[in-house]
Amino acid sequence: MLKNIKAEKLNPSVKAITILIAAILIALQYITLLNIIIFVSSIMILLLFSDAKLKQLISILIPALMAAFGIFLMGLYYAKNNTGITTSLSNFANEPYAVRAALSTNFNSAVALATRLLAYSGLGIFFALTTDGEEFVASLIHQCGMSPKFAYGIIAAVNMLPQMVSENKTVKLAYKIRGIKVSFFSSRVLFTMLVNSIRASESLALAMESKGFTGNKDRTYYSITKIHWYDILFSCALLGGIILGMIFLQ
Amino acid sequence: MNWKLKDILMIAVCAVLFGVIFLGATYAGGILYGILAPFGLASLGYEPFYGIYFLGGAFAVYVIRKPGTGIVAEILGAIIETLLGNFFGPIIILSGFVQGFGFELVIALKKYKKFDIVTLIEASICCSVITLIYNLFISGYNKIAVPVLALMLAVRIISAILIDAFLNKSISDKLAKAGVLKGYEISKDLEENYQE
Repeated sequence: MLKNIKAEKLNPSVKAITILIAAILIALQYITLLNIIIFVSSIMILLLFSDAKLKQLISILIPALMAAFGIFLMGLYYAKNNTGITTSLSNFANEPYAVRAALSTNFNSAVALATRLLAYSGLGIFFALTTDGEEFVASLIHQCGMSPKFAYGIIAAVNMLPQMVSENKTVKLAYKIRGIKVSFFSSRVLFTMLVNSIRASESLALAMESKGFTGNKDRTYYSITKIHWYDILFSCALLGGIILGMIFLQ
Repeated sequence: MNWKLKDILMIAVCAVLFGVIFLGATYAGGILYGILAPFGLASLGYEPFYGIYFLGGAFAVYVIRKPGTGIVAEILGAIIETLLGNFFGPIIILSGFVQGFGFELVIALKKYKKFDIVTLIEASICCSVITLIYNLFISGYNKIAVPVLALMLAVRIISAILIDAFLNKSISDKLAKAGVLKGYEISKDLEENYQE
């Protein structure tokens, strides 16, 4: 029974909108415990109820932790000194007095900032690792009323990514052979690739339209995503949980 | 505006392209982060590259010059980034909207008629300010001391002006002159100047 509960089954649009609302709710508060609960439970649910691989999780978690640590340091050094709450100074007993004093007033702000970022990234990672790209775009058509023109445009562009990465290498190599130095900020590479990409996008549009793509909504679909009862349950549980947390953990 | 498939593909493909080209810049951001970390300014390491985030919208609105293009381009870019697996997930769609709105605001106030370098610089500054206000609320930056925020904003503005005003204008004008952007407003503008 439990094995059938998979986060991948959730409707991507419902998941995305729920997470967006959750993010706005998170922005309204600075409850450290609540933020930590959101982060930890997102990762736990991901590990228990999804097919996400641990390796994938770690590789996406590292930049998130880095960003959280960065904002933690910034809060620790440069928070506004108006929180008025001081953590017990004994935590930093080994530090010189000046450091202790500065750290104690700023520590709460730093933790609040870092855990907020972790709460966002917990939800974001949960979405990223449990959502199939094409299913997300399909549900943008069926649930959010996005025009198929935009939806298939997005899919086409995303699928051009590997081609562009290899072309980037080729263009750089072509300049190198001619003895022209290129760095990643070089406008030469950017220009060459823009010319190629814009031309490619034009012929892609022509190809799609010549095969009968009109961009109208009255077409047939390979997969039609729907909203199920468990999507509503997920939405209510997540948002309700955060609201309850905001009330009771204050 | 009435979007053609060609326009959508052009914007979406360019959004992916900017991501590929500036991938190196994000690594540079990581290095700068490490250097600045001991001074407590690790987050400042990302700021010099903020202009890259605005480029998708800035490029689209400068080339197509129609209401909504900047915002739509940024949202498209954000959806693509979500699909490619960003750790902020769908939250960056909101950021994308704010970025597109911030840049397009100045151009909209000038009724989509003025596209000189001054307008683009103003739009870059406006976009930096609005995104920082967004950060104050969403990222909780209002807990950070004001001088540090001012430093972040200054770096962000410089980055935005260099990338979204100067680089954007020079490269788009070159593309138009090369005849790649035929059919878009930017090329019509160029032809009028040529006839004079």
